[in-house]
Amino acid sequence: MIQNVIDGVLTGSYLSLGAIGLTLVMHILRFANFSHAELLSLGAYAALVCDALVTALAPVLAIKLAPLSLTWALGLAIVLSMVLTGLSAVVIDRLVFRRVRERGAELSMVFASFGMALVIRNIIGLIFGLSPKLYSQEIAFATVLSFDPLILVKPDQVFVLLAALVLMFALHLVLSRTTFGYSLRAVAENPALAQINGVNLARTIVAVWLIGGGLAAVAGIFYGMSHQIIPVMGRDLVLPIFAATIVGGIGSVYGAVLGGFIVGLAGNLALLVLPAGYTPSVPFLLILAVLILRPHGLFGEARA
Amino acid sequence: MFNHTHRAASAGLAFGLAVLGTTASAQECTTKIGAVLPTSVDWGRPIAETAQFAVDQVNEAGGAAGCQIEMVLRDTQVDPKVGVDAAKALVDLEGVKVMLGAVSSGVSMPILTSVTVPGGVMQMSCCSSSTAFTGLAEEGKTEGLWFRTFATTAVQSAIGAKVAQDQGYGSVAILYKNDDWGQDMGRMIAADFEAVGVAVTTSIAINDAQPSYRAEVTEALRTQPDAIYLALYPAEGTAAVREWISLGGTQNMILANSLKSDEFRENVGMQYLGSALGTDTSSPRSDSADAFRAAYMARFDSEPNGPGLANSYDATMIALLAMEAAGPDATGAQIAEAVARVTDPAGTPVTADAAGFAQARDVLGGGGTVAYQGATGNVQFDVNGDVSAPAVVWSFTETGTQEVSYLPLDEVDAFIGSLR
Repeated sequence: MIQNVIDGVLTGSYLSLGAIGLTLVMHILRFANFSHAELLSLGAYAALVCDALVTALAPVLAIKLAPLSLTWALGLAIVLSMVLTGLSAVVIDRLVFRRVRERGAELSMVFASFGMALVIRNIIGLIFGLSPKLYSQEIAFATVLSFDPLILVKPDQVFVLLAALVLMFALHLVLSRTTFGYSLRAVAENPALAQINGVNLARTIVAVWLIGGGLAAVAGIFYGMSHQIIPVMGRDLVLPIFAATIVGGIGSVYGAVLGGFIVGLAGNLALLVLPAGYTPSVPFLLILAVLILRPHGLFGEARA
Repeated sequence: MFNHTHRAASAGLAFGLAVLGTTASAQECTTKIGAVLPTSVDWGRPIAETAQFAVDQVNEAGGAAGCQIEMVLRDTQVDPKVGVDAAKALVDLEGVKVMLGAVSSGVSMPILTSVTVPGGVMQMSCCSSSTAFTGLAEEGKTEGLWFRTFATTAVQSAIGAKVAQDQGYGSVAILYKNDDWGQDMGRMIAADFEAVGVAVTTSIAINDAQPSYRAEVTEALRTQPDAIYLALYPAEGTAAVREWISLGGTQNMILANSLKSDEFRENVGMQYLGSALGTDTSSPRSDSADAFRAAYMARFDSEPNGPGLANSYDATMIALLAMEAAGPDATGAQIAEAVARVTDPAGTPVTADAAGFAQARDVLGGGGTVAYQGATGNVQFDVNGDVSAPAVVWSFTETGTQEVSYLPLDEVDAFIGSLR
């Protein structure tokens, strides 16, 4: 039980990061972006490449930060991957979403995002192959926190949780304390009015993609560190991330954080009451329950 | 104009055939048998060619039940609908009493239930492995008309239990893939473990495409088994096993053949796989299997390495032997009954070639029974029309896998017998 709670929180940390980006995009650009989870794959693979490059250029950086399986090189690769993934998100928006946004309806955007998801996933599969990849072939052993009841935690997971919390706090500061944060929220509230007040809409959209892409990259890398990197990881994660976003309430960054942890916990606790074969239904059940009880999510607000 | 030419050509052809008929063959009759196989996929065509190879050999030996055999082949496109249509045409229009095929269980099953059983036609599949057929036969719904020369997953499951017993594991946790195959394996291996006195601490379904298997692994770990049994594919197998080992789970593992993969070995790491033992079915190591290999190479200029080739050959040969045993104008049910007379372990051994078929004809004509020594060994069907297969236990090495032990067919059969 305690183990399941701990695992749930640790799983929730990368789901939250993914959900934050999704909720921002869904709120500000007003469409359900089904390709968002592919940005996680993109980020994870970008870090894989950057890690290899950095290690090749500066072998000294391949030292492990014991007790983590993280190396200095991978740490650097995370930063590079955030930038690369953020820029990829901007490029994708330029090439596809902006064109559809200008001409099509909301539903066209949803379909375009489905298409983009397939394109990204298959390009990754073409380049890297369909079998799983790992940042480190070695298996990072869990530390025993208690023998009775048996509680095991991997150092990597604690790092992931702390890093995720730091990033979330930084984002919170940006959104609540800076002019940029206000303009972002203004655009979400009413794009036309925000433009009248001198907010540059195009630049704001670029910023949203950069933030969303960057956080998605971190989420993808953290997922890859905890599990494995595989081209279909976006497909596997899209549902939990959407569940987290909807549970938290679309547009609410804090809701997305909470939603991520709720989905992570629910997934891990489900096994205590449900046979293993039925646990994939849990995110669906959560979405249904929230939509029935609070149609706008825990932190969401109705808007016209 | 076209019609005219066509008619002229037909007349010429008919004349030619009539001439050939009187000179080349003493037999006046041709019996048709049906074959529904996925010839439109690259691995399906050799299976059909191997069946035709067996038919050619029988015709060389003078045909079955006094007539030359013509195998009418239809493509299933690995599609149940296409397969059923093809089988229906063969039964209704061509009047076949014997149906070879199909390959996929999902295609063989609807053909069996909606075409061959209602039509009273014997169906002999080379390659369907689902245990659903065993269940159907146990319920009596196949009416004894169903046979297959491909071993079911029951063999692997039994050998998995044997490994646990031989290694002295007292308790095992099972992780199985949550699909038809995995559920089958999970259910059977649990029963087999119990049968050899190994406790099953828990049996957990692993779903495809889950972001994490942490909860499932934690659940299995909680039961503290001596070993784990894995009926998984490499993608989720790697994820689950890495999680398992990182949480301090035992490295005593028993693996289904699906994990016999380099991807799994490399991503988990050899240092953790030293105590892992895998199971698999094996091609037989008998003279009759070698003879088939040589005959196949002489005919096709390549090794019979594709899936189901030896099985396809045996399915065809046994069906034709049964037709011979059942005599002229036999019904599908009579042919199906005669299968026991040609696969009788106490019968006269006959080889899998034209000479063997001719010998079988003499023995059967004298009221005796024969033991067919086929490409997959001494084929023997149980009451459900299932066959067994030799098995191997394997382990990983730095470069791939190696064989730990080989269990010939009779040992496998004896062990499976001891479980039930």
